[in-house]
Formats: sequence, structure tokens, C-alpha cells
Amino acid sequence: MPASCERAITLTGDLHARPAGALSVTAAKFSSAVALTVGSSRADAKSVLGVMGLGATSGQRVTVTADGPDAEAAVAAIIAILAAATRVGA
Amino acid sequence: MSLHARVGIVLVSHSAALAEGAAELAGQISGGTVAIIPAGGTDDGHLGTSAAKVQQAVKLADSGAGVLILPDLGSAVLTVRALLTDTGDLPGPIEIADAPFVEGVVAATVAAASGGDITAVLAAAEEARHARKL
Repeated sequence: MPASCERAITLTGDLHARPAGALSVTAAKFSSAVALTVGSSRADAKSVLGVMGLGATSGQRVTVTADGPDAEAAVAAIIAILAAATRVGA
Repeated sequence: MSLHARVGIVLVSHSAALAEGAAELAGQISGGTVAIIPAGGTDDGHLGTSAAKVQQAVKLADSGAGVLILPDLGSAVLTVRALLTDTGDLPGPIEIADAPFVEGVVAATVAAASGGDITAVLAAAEEARHARKL
């Protein structure tokens, strides 16, 4: 049965191009569907242009949602990237 | 196709600087695991395109999983098409993306870095037509 998982993180830096790329490369390794939600905007985490198009900035709350057999691991991996990458504003 | 083979990317631009800059940008965003080969300018260094440069770039970009070619403007497509029609010794599969140059190479390279096959990488590039910046 497909699992669903959701966690949120408050960004400590802006989500720039390089972390967006790392995020999408990582998301694509999971079979679950993974989405990012910021305010009223939602993007497929596997689409780097979609992730960049969110324009997520420091202080914003990002919700990571995954649906599928590896949903929990996918959300954990994406949260880790958001936590690490936006810390330095890379 | 070997386990670690990635689809390679060739950027065909009328400007060598534009092709090199776009390759550098996409390489940084995608983590540097994909071959992104710029083929910009004419053989004598002017603005324009070069079939010889494109042919060499395709050979360099291929690692067994195929090559996606992104032209910057429509007329670069003529050079690429002529090359693909006339030359039989290029590695395959080779596809040409109908996509915006910068967004297309970024999306394609991330898809290639994720292990996507030539169909997935082409689709990622062409979906970039619909990406909004604002």
C-alpha cells in the first residue's frame, strides 16, 4: 500500500539554483511522487525549474509531501537538503 | 548502456561564450556528473555555427546513453539537422530538443544527472517551455 509522508521546514536562507538542482536530482532517485508547497505555490520536487520557480526565501515555511513506497525516506532526504543548502545561501 | 552511463548534452549556440556559459551554469546546478559540451561559434571564432564543432561535441558527450542537442535559435537547427542527415558514424541515440536554451539545458542536465534515459532527458528539456519564472 502506498504510504504518504509530510514534513515542513522553515528556510534559513533563500532557495537558490544549486540547492534546487541538488534537491531535484535527489527527489528523482525516489519512486514516490514528491512535492514542495510554499504558501499557495506547489511544485514537483523532481522538476528543477518548478522548484526554482517557487522563489522560496529565507523565513518561509516549505512543506515537503511524498506519496509512494519510499515516501518517508524521500521526505527525510529533501528536508535534509533544504536544511543544509539554505543555511549557507548557496 | 553501462550502469553509470549518463545522457550527454551538447549546446549549439551562435556564440561560443553563450554555449560555454550555459554549460558552466547547468554543470553547477546539476552537480557536475553530466557531460555538457559547448559547440558555439564558427570554426574561425566568429558568431555562427559549425558542423565540425557540433560533430566533435557529440562524440565527446556520448558515454553510451545517447546525446541530447540543444540549439539556441532556430537557424542552429539547420546545422544540426544537416549533420545528423549526412553523417552515419555518430553514436546514438541522438535527439534535438525544441526548448528554451537556458531553462532547457538546466532541466535536461538535472534529468540526466538523475539517471534519466534519452526520452526522459528530452522530455525534461521540452517541458521547460512551460516553466514560469515569476
